[in-house]
Amino acid sequence: MNDTTTATPFDPPYAFDEYRSTQRRAPKQPLVALPAHALDIPGPLVPAGFIRSGDNDLTIRGKSAPLGERMFLAGRLLDADGRPVRRSLVEIWQANASGRYHHPGDQHDAPLDPNFDGVGRTMTDDDGCYNFITIKPGSYPWFNHPFAWRPQHIHFSLLGNAPVQRLITQMYFPGDPLLDIDPIYNSVPDPEARKRMICRLDLRTGKENYALGYRFDIVLAGAKSTPLGI
Amino acid sequence: MAGRTPSQTIGPYYRFGLRWTDGARIAFNEKGRAIVLAGRIFDGAGQPVDDAIIETWQLGPSGTPPTGAAGSSNPFGFGRADTEKNGAFRFETLMPGGPIPCIDVTIFSRGLLKALRTRVYLAPESLARTDPLIASIAGSERVKTLVATPAGPDEYRWDVRLQGEGETVFFEF
Repeated sequence: MNDTTTATPFDPPYAFDEYRSTQRRAPKQPLVALPAHALDIPGPLVPAGFIRSGDNDLTIRGKSAPLGERMFLAGRLLDADGRPVRRSLVEIWQANASGRYHHPGDQHDAPLDPNFDGVGRTMTDDDGCYNFITIKPGSYPWFNHPFAWRPQHIHFSLLGNAPVQRLITQMYFPGDPLLDIDPIYNSVPDPEARKRMICRLDLRTGKENYALGYRFDIVLAGAKSTPLGI
Repeated sequence: MAGRTPSQTIGPYYRFGLRWTDGARIAFNEKGRAIVLAGRIFDGAGQPVDDAIIETWQLGPSGTPPTGAAGSSNPFGFGRADTEKNGAFRFETLMPGGPIPCIDVTIFSRGLLKALRTRVYLAPESLARTDPLIASIAGSERVKTLVATPAGPDEYRWDVRLQGEGETVFFEF
């Protein structure tokens, strides 16, 4: 069987025509099955000193506060068996409030914000918890199809504590009308799995009169080689 | 069992978000033979993929998984590079130990909704074919796509083709 679609119902297929960039990049030959647990080896290990103070606060990079709606973002990194993934690297990147990335390739005609680079990183604690302070990203057009605009999103990179847990995903916001017409979000075949990429408003995560709070829990593959979640 | 979070593409604008200082100069907690692994990534039309992230993970020179971590260094044994305009990447690392020297590779890019995983062998093709990891394709011509070519005393060359003729072997996971 020429199955390049992947057997895991929670992940998107490689080939998904509505997302045009997949057309020349999705492999067409059959994928080779790995022996069980081939990727379940502890590592790589990120030293605590890799993270510097302030790396998880995207609002303190400039001379003054960035434009946009300030938000506290917190969540928990778990594995599929419900165990916390501890002391593990979480990296995020995002557009600014106008929908523009601090990136030379982004030529969208929206202003850059000199006080916002849109990059953060942190480590989960012993309960698998992480938190960031940032601003709500804007939507922006892309060239996939007429009137293609990405829903507001924050990119997440999770190193996990074994290669089997490595994941890069995107976090979306509740109630965004662009979700229905976004091929990247809708590339995930299972509607329930799609919803797991949407954060939820959580007032207690925020700060009264200062910032709204959102929670986004992330579930990685189970790893038998890291019984303590480290 | 909790429902897993789906994968999504890194998109085109990740460079500031994922670039690490010295990400392509791989650190270890032991000494060994310094080598370079260099190559290019191409798409199904033969065009260079200039917006990919390539990550590597390997055994240390003594043949054990690098487990230590010190100070503020990058994780031992782990590399991360983004590709250049011509699709090129270049890692400075140490020759992996173990019976069949190899490096595990993960590729992310725009147009990949999920990472691609593969393995490059720094060993003769005949030895690579004996790796139990690829037992299901041990007799296939496609094993050639996983074998790096010596390009000097301490340099190995390995190109990746995401799709089409000479398509690199990728793993299901």
